[in-house]
Amino acid sequence: MPLNRKNKLLDLAAAKRRGPETRDWQVTQILPSIIDGLLIGFVYGVAAMGLTLIWGVMRVINLGHGATMALGMFCTYFLFSDLAVNPYLGILAVVVLSLLFGFIIYGVALQRVIQAGYLSTLLATFAVNMIIIGVGTALFTTSPRNIDFSAGSITLGPVILQGTRLLAALAAVVITGALYLFLYCTRPGKAIRAVSNNRAAAELMGIPSSYVLALAFGLGTMLAAVAGGLTSTFFPFTILSGATYQLKSFVICVLGGLGNPLGALLGGLFLGGLEGVIPTFMPVSWVPVVEFVLFVLVLVVKPTGLLGAK
Amino acid sequence: MILQVQEVHKRFGGLQALTDVNFEIAPGEIMGLIGPNGAGKTTLFNVINGVYPPTKGQVVFREEKITGLPPYEVARRGLARAHQVVRPLNDLTVRENVMVGACFGRERLSLGKAAQKADEALAKVGLADRAGQLAGSLNVAQKKRLELARALAANPYLLLLDEVLAGLTPSEIVGMMDTLRNIRDEGFTILMIEHVMQAIMSISDRIIVLDYGQLIAAGKPGEVAANPLVIEAYLGDPDMTARLMAE
Repeated sequence: MPLNRKNKLLDLAAAKRRGPETRDWQVTQILPSIIDGLLIGFVYGVAAMGLTLIWGVMRVINLGHGATMALGMFCTYFLFSDLAVNPYLGILAVVVLSLLFGFIIYGVALQRVIQAGYLSTLLATFAVNMIIIGVGTALFTTSPRNIDFSAGSITLGPVILQGTRLLAALAAVVITGALYLFLYCTRPGKAIRAVSNNRAAAELMGIPSSYVLALAFGLGTMLAAVAGGLTSTFFPFTILSGATYQLKSFVICVLGGLGNPLGALLGGLFLGGLEGVIPTFMPVSWVPVVEFVLFVLVLVVKPTGLLGAK
Repeated sequence: MILQVQEVHKRFGGLQALTDVNFEIAPGEIMGLIGPNGAGKTTLFNVINGVYPPTKGQVVFREEKITGLPPYEVARRGLARAHQVVRPLNDLTVRENVMVGACFGRERLSLGKAAQKADEALAKVGLADRAGQLAGSLNVAQKKRLELARALAANPYLLLLDEVLAGLTPSEIVGMMDTLRNIRDEGFTILMIEHVMQAIMSISDRIIVLDYGQLIAAGKPGEVAANPLVIEAYLGDPDMTARLMAE
């Protein structure tokens, strides 16, 4: 704690020192940065929804989340670079493939240990993570790739919006809407919510919980992979890139309240916005520090998340 | 026969919970299951609806062996159960809870039809005005009614009711009895566990008595109440015996 306080004081001092000379620069810079951050925040939100859905329904902490995101990136990349598939069409393919991939992972790695408690499922998903990263490193190496695709840009006053980020944010909104429609207006969605609420009671009411758990894991995996695919349209990546995003997803889930998909989206926007703002008045390397100080603060002050009521 | 329980044994380690239990329920019948505490009544329900497989024996439901099927498969075949310890989905509304019963019970209804069915079931048990509330906010009596509504909404061939009157105040019991009579008059087949003797004696067509995991008596309510074995089984509880004698 003393160290944190000292860091903050240093930050303040640095900001003050820079203040007068950089103020004009800040005014024109801060708005585009925030907007840029918010657009990326939508994608963070989708990724975090995947993590929070799996936790909420299955009580499984999915450590394969980041690796799955990386797979989504590579899938989109290879469809684009080898088959010249438009990345957004490629992401539609990612939706289908990752859903199937999620079912397979559930059947192979999770189904047997789902009753065995948190540690077993945590280790199972960690093993999945290591396998994906090991195979990925062997096949794709760790040299960075990027999808050389431009969707143009839109200029609004001082703000230039990149097309890829706008489309990614739009896709994130559509995905969130679709997820909510699915959860609240369909029978499988109802089954997912019932199992999430009380697995044993739901089973006694006639819901086959193992199918529902597989579906939830498939959906969570899909959300992660799609978020990866969207990210790959504007950031370079390697098979290891997922780790960073996985950590961000954890922060976002805690911010929004674990198990709450809408909270995850809002948490994503918050974190994205923060990432936009911070670099305008302190070095970029401070971003993770601020994020994780926030993470700890939320855990200490309001562990149910900023949106959690209980 | 809707339900045939054949030579069912259930053993938990060194505890013989059920020994050679045999009985049958005909369509439209209301069967009461009574017995002192710890006699194995709830265990018998758990064996019937698939929570535990029996150690030995068969459960046949509508001419199909359901022994060893998981609870959701049993529920899907049209056997719904209202639990003694109520377990609602607390973060869902009352209507949504009942809809789950309708969606995943015998009829496997779509959401729209399930909502309609849920409202009907809630009206039957007198919870219609609570439909929009979260299930967690209900009191015990209301949760018991919710449990009943959820089981009814599945439109089951057989309804297992596990002490739906337990924990209710005398006036709530009177209300619940009216509800149960209405349900009976609709033609549901029911197997019910109850400790409130007056209630079960007046509502059942036949009664079976479990004691230490064995069926010790079966028959019409009057016959069972006069059966010396039954009176002996309840002797540890003089109050209960007196009430039985008074019937």
